[in-house]
Amino acid sequence: MTLLIEPIQSKTSLGEEGILFVRNDSIFDTMVKVPLLVASMIIVAALLPIQSSFSSPRDLDLIIYPDGTTHVSAEIDVDPFLTDYEVNLFGSTIDNLVVIGDDGFLLDVDVIYDTALIQTFGSSEITIEYDIHDLVSKQGRLWTFSLDSPSDFTLLLPKNSAIVGMTNLPLNMEIINEQNQLTLSSGSTEIDYFFSTNSISNPDEEIKNEEDNSLNTIIAGIVGGIIAIVLTSIVIIGRKNQKTVEEIDEKITKEDVIVETNNILDLETIFKLKPDLREDDKELVKFIFDNNGEVLESELRKNFLQPRTTMWRAVKRLEREGVIEIEKKDLQNLVKLRKNMEEDN
Amino acid sequence: MKKLALFAIIVLIFGTVSPSLANQAYGQNDPSILLRIAIQADKQIVNQLDKKYENEIPNNINILYEKGHRAVESLDQSLSNNDIEKAKQDFLSAMNSFMQISRIISQSSEKVIVVNVSQKSNQTLESKLDRLEKYVKTLESISQKHKINQNDDNFTTAYSLIQDIRNQIKNDEDSSKNLNELQDLIKSIKNKIRDSIAEKQSNAVKNFFEKFLVQIDQKLIQAKDLGRDQIEIDKANELIFEIRELLSKNQINDAKKVYSELKVVLKNIGISVKIT
Repeated sequence: MTLLIEPIQSKTSLGEEGILFVRNDSIFDTMVKVPLLVASMIIVAALLPIQSSFSSPRDLDLIIYPDGTTHVSAEIDVDPFLTDYEVNLFGSTIDNLVVIGDDGFLLDVDVIYDTALIQTFGSSEITIEYDIHDLVSKQGRLWTFSLDSPSDFTLLLPKNSAIVGMTNLPLNMEIINEQNQLTLSSGSTEIDYFFSTNSISNPDEEIKNEEDNSLNTIIAGIVGGIIAIVLTSIVIIGRKNQKTVEEIDEKITKEDVIVETNNILDLETIFKLKPDLREDDKELVKFIFDNNGEVLESELRKNFLQPRTTMWRAVKRLEREGVIEIEKKDLQNLVKLRKNMEEDN
Repeated sequence: MKKLALFAIIVLIFGTVSPSLANQAYGQNDPSILLRIAIQADKQIVNQLDKKYENEIPNNINILYEKGHRAVESLDQSLSNNDIEKAKQDFLSAMNSFMQISRIISQSSEKVIVVNVSQKSNQTLESKLDRLEKYVKTLESISQKHKINQNDDNFTTAYSLIQDIRNQIKNDEDSSKNLNELQDLIKSIKNKIRDSIAEKQSNAVKNFFEKFLVQIDQKLIQAKDLGRDQIEIDKANELIFEIRELLSKNQINDAKKVYSELKVVLKNIGISVKIT
């Protein structure tokens, strides 16, 4: 069966033996045009950077102050053969505008609404600096920065601000004087931030702090252990000197205490009474049981590495099942295994 | 020769394409920053939820938070697996969820929050002062570059005023008088700079105008040959003459004003103001 449509290349370039055959004369024809092609590409390559540099700032840096006003600093390459240059400002409410041309000359500017007409008169590079009140809005405690930038830019956020939302991928982030500086790409960007009483933490430092804390915990544990051993030794020596009757009484009292704490049911009974408990909930119950039947919700979160809301829902679920009860202790939730659970069933 | 030409083409193609490649690479230089930002946002949202709702978090917020938190965990996982594209998606998903939560919280809390007016205005004043200080520093650098001697050392006075205002803010005192004084001083500094560099700047503008007006002359001759509006062409020539007169008298600002008129006339004739 023959192919109805045969690719042209296969007709012309394959020889009888299926060897790739290329016609040299057509290549030479093409090569005559090569110098022309090279010349045109040189022109295109030379023009491309000029076009892009005149249309957008070479450097754009923004600083947000705590009151939401933003300082804009932009360096722009301009056509030195023009008498003036029009720049779109990022808004209309601006202060402290200064435009500097080549050789540090202050250039004259006419601002009409959100456009600045700069008299460049031969300057090839200008620096524009101004403060603008239009880029950050506030609702409640939430501050929102919005910008449609013609080029990549850096954004320095105020001290103690914490980002809680953003629409763009940042290109980079640095911490400068306890302030977050983001590098963002051109286009529309929105960033939400709150002012936090907690200073912005550098995760690297956090890790370091955690390491320090764990070291402190180890040291505290060793010291505590030594003290405990010493105290236990003293107690043992003291007990040896006590009368046998007292020993018996103490034993009885101790047993009472154990009975008291274990008034809650053992795990097997709980799980028998509540056969529908989820496996992860059973783990929670086991953890509470192992901690003498009561534990703070925050400890559960820490131990099971669960977010606040997830743990809160799990605890509420166990409360509905009648397995635990929640009490307030120092503004925290104390989760306790319920006594007399059998009575419910 | 032909090999050389082919090599040149390859170099040019690479040269044209490489800037965009470099830009993409820059965006991926440290993807771990995505996780850092997302974790910070997660913690902040938990704090805000805790403050606002304690344990009575509305279901819609709860769902959003779960989604955001899961995205943060997934982001961590994606970065561990070196799956950058997935990490980017996770990051945007997490930040989008947290953004929605923060907006819901702020909308519902707007009525409740009591703003400490005094504190707020002080903060605004402090920020304003920071900005003015930055402005003064910019003017100082221009002044130093052109070796301009400011009367009675204006910059020292400006910095001293800034310090005084800072102290007044700290002590909750009225700083409006000093603030006005500072703003007036800044205006005077700016004018002094303008006056001092006027001569240098004038020479630069004059040189530019000389070249520029020669080009305009030629374009007007071409326009005449093309049969454009003679009245407008005559008007343009008059304005050019006037600019040259003003430049010879060193009246640069007046020359600029006349130039603005000339631009309009040239536009009417159909001449581009750009010289080549």
